Amino acid sequence: MTVATTLRRVVAVTALTLFAGLAQASTGALVSSDWLAKNLERDDVRVIEVSVNPGQFERGHIPGAVNFRWHTDLVDTVSRDIIARDDFETLLRDAGISEDTEVILYGDTNNWFAAWGAWIFDIYGVENVRLLDGGRNKWEAEGRDLGIRPASYAQGDITVAEADNSIRAFLPEVVDVARSEAPAAQLVDIRSAAEYEGRIIAPDGVNELSVRAGHIPGAVNVGWGNAVNDDGTFRSADELRALYAEAGVDGSQPVITYCRIGERSSHTWFALSKILGYDVKNYDGSWTEYGNSVGVPVTNLAGTVWGGQ
Amino acid sequence: MQNTVTPAPAMRRGFALSAVLPALIITGLITGAWQLSGNNQTSLALSLLLGGTFGVLLQRSRFCFFCVTRDFIDDRDARGLLGIIAALAVGTLGYHLIFGLFVPDPAGGRLPPDAHIGPVSWVLALAAFTFGVGMTLSGSCISAHLYRLGEGATGSIAALVGVLIGFSLGFATWNTLYLAGIDQAPVIWLPGLTGYGGSLLIQLGGLGLLAVWLMRWHRPATPADTAAPVGFRERLLGQRWPTYVGGLLIGALAVMAYLRVAPLGVTAELGSLARTAGSGLGLLPERLQGLDGFSGCATAVKNALLSENGAFILALVLASLASALAAGHFRLQRITLVSTLSKLTGGVLMGWGAMTALGCTVGTLLSGIMAAAVSGWVFAFFCLLGLWVSLFLAQTFAPRTE
Repeated sequence: MTVATTLRRVVAVTALTLFAGLAQASTGALVSSDWLAKNLERDDVRVIEVSVNPGQFERGHIPGAVNFRWHTDLVDTVSRDIIARDDFETLLRDAGISEDTEVILYGDTNNWFAAWGAWIFDIYGVENVRLLDGGRNKWEAEGRDLGIRPASYAQGDITVAEADNSIRAFLPEVVDVARSEAPAAQLVDIRSAAEYEGRIIAPDGVNELSVRAGHIPGAVNVGWGNAVNDDGTFRSADELRALYAEAGVDGSQPVITYCRIGERSSHTWFALSKILGYDVKNYDGSWTEYGNSVGVPVTNLAGTVWGGQ
Repeated sequence: MQNTVTPAPAMRRGFALSAVLPALIITGLITGAWQLSGNNQTSLALSLLLGGTFGVLLQRSRFCFFCVTRDFIDDRDARGLLGIIAALAVGTLGYHLIFGLFVPDPAGGRLPPDAHIGPVSWVLALAAFTFGVGMTLSGSCISAHLYRLGEGATGSIAALVGVLIGFSLGFATWNTLYLAGIDQAPVIWLPGLTGYGGSLLIQLGGLGLLAVWLMRWHRPATPADTAAPVGFRERLLGQRWPTYVGGLLIGALAVMAYLRVAPLGVTAELGSLARTAGSGLGLLPERLQGLDGFSGCATAVKNALLSENGAFILALVLASLASALAAGHFRLQRITLVSTLSKLTGGVLMGWGAMTALGCTVGTLLSGIMAAAVSGWVFAFFCLLGLWVSLFLAQTFAPRTE
């Protein structure tokens, strides 16, 4: 090898690394199924499944994965809140997670709940958390291995921080935005157009309801599903940027995402904050809190009236 | 369809019915499953195959809860009931094997996903008793009506229509019963109390004691059974299999079904049909309290034409038809008004009982006991009690017709 070729190589590799580093900065929140398949054996990688449908993990999961049940593990089961700090720390330690563990989250239905899990990890300041792009569906569609044996890991030693509510919006803040002439944040409603317009109060078959239809004044409607490709992977950062810019959300202002119960909106929170790097809060009270609140402003385009005829 | 000397055209027709048609049906089911699995619908494909296998096993071994119980009560022939115990024993072993994977720590307060472990209350006892009475009136349980449909039992249609009506009544009374007795009732899973070892000991010990008791009461059949030796084809496709053969295989099938799709059950789809029709007509309560929180033959309003349980039932009936045709057991049943009314009424009682108990002799009794659910045992006891009492009354006040 001549000095010239070596030099050329070094320059090329450095440039590539720099370029790749830049690319990583924008999509570093995701790992591909290929990457995960190659890194599955690593002791410092812990795969966590957060799925909507119970019984799915047990019948086959990414080998070595640990199951977090969103209905009971990641919430306070009595008051409407996310899991408390100490309980979350115990949950992570039981899953063998330490300070240096790389956590990969995945789940069914396009990672809705896995993204919600990522939001909770973020609230408690856990770093090194990524989503498996395409989630469970893509992993299965590619015919990759699934296991059923439960994994058990030695207790981890992670310490999680106090909850950082800078990525979590509460009702008073949202009402302020809704009432303000010059709002401090942009609202993104990720529900279906029919819900946003107030033609229906909630999709068929759901139990959590509001007594008012419509949306929070000033919110733009970008359905969560617009952010994914057919195979469930996130669209590219450029496509996402264009998609939200079209609705007037370009990252120049803080953003608040919401849906019906705050889970699907985590998916959009993930796209906007983790992939595009915008300043985003998720409003987990969402429409089931806002649409039930007394005296708050509502935009109801369809004029649907709840209850009495 | 008899294998005696018959004129050529009839023989050809016999061949078409006993060989070609069954082969076509089975090929159709396998092709359907193959198509579905290629279409990324593995659970549906598996449901077709599992349902088809279940249908053949039920038909071949006459796995009918009512018939085998009546054999014992009337003739002290315990072989059928011992077959059910065989199914429960194999299923118990397999379920516990799977539970160890699904719920490594049974004392942790979690229940295994989807397993049919229901609340134990007086409502369950009442529903099971009613189900037992319905079995007597209609002549078999729901799963047996389904496989009998494949044997040409036209009367079973009336029973199944009754079941749909009964389900609607069950939905109508659910909210009242839920608050009166179900919501505070304990959901008892033996491994949660005793660990897997203890639960296995209790279950297998109980089943073993029952088997010993049954064998002591058993009066061996007359030696007329030991006729001339028969060939392999006749033994496999012609004669009924001993119930224990069906039982052992059904136990294994139940384990496979639980591992891959869901516990065996035959009423979820019927319940869904009733619930969809009922809510379409505005006859049912808008909200069935707590229902969707229980595992069991839970019934959702239909949102897909072919659900997993729908595919399972469809394959069950078709495969039973194929099996009955091959065996020459297919006979179109002549129906009378009295028997139709009796089957319809029995069906209504069974439908109400199955909805209220979250399953029938398959979903709550078989799948429940295999899962070490106390609700399964309670259902079994009261269902048999209802059957026994009603059979006693029927035989006292009306002569046996069949």
